[in-house]
Amino acid sequence: MVDSAAGVTRRGPAIEVDFALIGHQESWRAAADVLAVLRGPERTPLPDGEIKDILPWIPPRAVCQVDVGSIIGAKAHGMYIDSFIPPDRLEAAYVHENIARVRSAAAYAIKAGAKIVSLGGFSSILIEGNFDQLPERHHTVFTTGNTLTVAFIVQGIKKMCALEGRNLQRSTLLIVGATGDVGSGCARCLGPIVNRVLLSARSVERLRRLAAGLQAEGVQVEIATDLQRFSAEADVVICAASLASPSLELGRIAPHALVCDAGYPKNLSPRAEMLGAKVFFGGLGQITGGLRFAPDFHGILNRHPFPDVVHGCLLEGMALALEGRFEPFSQGRGSITSERVEEMEAIAVRHGIYLAPLYNADGPVEDELHLSDGMVERMSA
Amino acid sequence: MEPLIEVNCSAMECTSLLSSAPIWQDILAQAMTGELLAAMNYASLSEICDDPAEVADALEHAEGERGHAAAFAAEGRRIGVDVTNNVDAKHWKRLRKAFLRCIAERDFIACLIVQEIMLESFAVASYSRVGKVAPGSLGKTFARIAAEEEDHVDHAMSILRSERALDPQRFDDKVYRLHLDVMTTLAQMLAKECKDGHCEVCHASCVKPALFDVSLSAAELRGASLQQYLKTLDKLGIPGEVTLAWLTQLPV
Repeated sequence: MVDSAAGVTRRGPAIEVDFALIGHQESWRAAADVLAVLRGPERTPLPDGEIKDILPWIPPRAVCQVDVGSIIGAKAHGMYIDSFIPPDRLEAAYVHENIARVRSAAAYAIKAGAKIVSLGGFSSILIEGNFDQLPERHHTVFTTGNTLTVAFIVQGIKKMCALEGRNLQRSTLLIVGATGDVGSGCARCLGPIVNRVLLSARSVERLRRLAAGLQAEGVQVEIATDLQRFSAEADVVICAASLASPSLELGRIAPHALVCDAGYPKNLSPRAEMLGAKVFFGGLGQITGGLRFAPDFHGILNRHPFPDVVHGCLLEGMALALEGRFEPFSQGRGSITSERVEEMEAIAVRHGIYLAPLYNADGPVEDELHLSDGMVERMSA
Repeated sequence: MEPLIEVNCSAMECTSLLSSAPIWQDILAQAMTGELLAAMNYASLSEICDDPAEVADALEHAEGERGHAAAFAAEGRRIGVDVTNNVDAKHWKRLRKAFLRCIAERDFIACLIVQEIMLESFAVASYSRVGKVAPGSLGKTFARIAAEEEDHVDHAMSILRSERALDPQRFDDKVYRLHLDVMTTLAQMLAKECKDGHCEVCHASCVKPALFDVSLSAAELRGASLQQYLKTLDKLGIPGEVTLAWLTQLPV
């Protein structure tokens, strides 16, 4: 007799789905690792060529169950749904196909009865301005998760400045991808703190609107669609562009600049030459109340050098589920304010979800021991 | 002998058909074999049905599948090729044996799962893809038969959904057992290359490498078939994360 456990997880009584996380893999390596877990250790891994042939045909569906705990005892049950957007098809040429995939993943979440759905990576970029394109939602709400992403980017910048002994108030901040939901949220949060803001994006009209809003708040702003036009004055940089692959080369920036790569996929080209720059990955949080995947995808779905680290966009849905606030906290483009970021930060902190330790492609960029208690307190403040 | 091209297509398409006729010949041979096997399966199914209406239904399906096989043979004649079939070819024979095991167990539901969920997913998806690229009446015939096969699946779906509602776990275990048997064979048939020798249906060497010449590929036919299979299992209500694991465990 076939052991059902060999292929089918024996299901108990139906468990309510508090949250669903919709995502996609940012590289073929990551996609291969996901399929390898599903295939099981007893089978030889699928050859790379086969994975590239098969993955684009897989309809969006749940890959695993996710259980998250809070430091105050709350628990939430959810699922990770992969839209199976092929990592090499994130370009604009595939936008309609990819929107259809995200819609299909959303329909899957709705059918599963998820109370809140977080949209990870390109899923939110594809949908952020088009929530009307989602299937009929019944009792399911959607959040892009961008508010918590912005919170962790801002926290990361502040922490890195503290670590490096920089004065953020004297800094010139460059935001690449400034008119996106995450980029503009960062501009609103950090603009009033820094000395000057340089905004870069493709649409000059959107740049003008964003700049006007910031200038009305007394922020000194410059805009450019051509990144190379900016001076070499930027000493703090946030890369939040919607790029299909790590291809961004910043060009001239100040020596020893702090660079936060908050893209998914990453923005910065591995070939980018930034003399003395301190690069770190931004927008990541860490769950301290417990995170469990079934099947076990630890280190596969969250490929970070620290345990239980997850992108802020996905964490937002989990935090809201732990809080019992099933509401579309982040929707649309350009509505993230510092007040909303603070509100979301408070929810996350209440449940033990904090900024993840900072790291980059070479590993951790910080040694927590170097942070004095005073520094930590200042950052928290 | 000069091939006789009688299909309803443009001069350019006819020229293209002339050069690609051996490829269509093998595609038609695989399709015709599949239809004849389906006809045999439905005829066998009629023998274990208790309800006269079900018997009639199964025999009607068998007749329909024979009609499809005849239509594919006729398409071959139109392009001047002889479409042979071989239900004893190694993969098809294994599929038939799997079906006959369900018959031996008088398991009507298992028969429907094998024929309607597994084999028809493969047929619907691959005929649809062929229908999109094949010229003239050849393409129309594949598209028409794909649509008719899809109707079969819809009919069986309501029976299978009712059965699953009675005991989902037992039903899913049964599908999984059949999946291991039947889909493993289908996955081997659909592999990009026939690694274990000639399939015994293609008239000469394996047609798969030549599929690019008619705007098809073995990878595309496999991908579309597996996608159709997953979507059909979704319609049955089997959890997507379960069927995803099943899919990834198939041989390539």
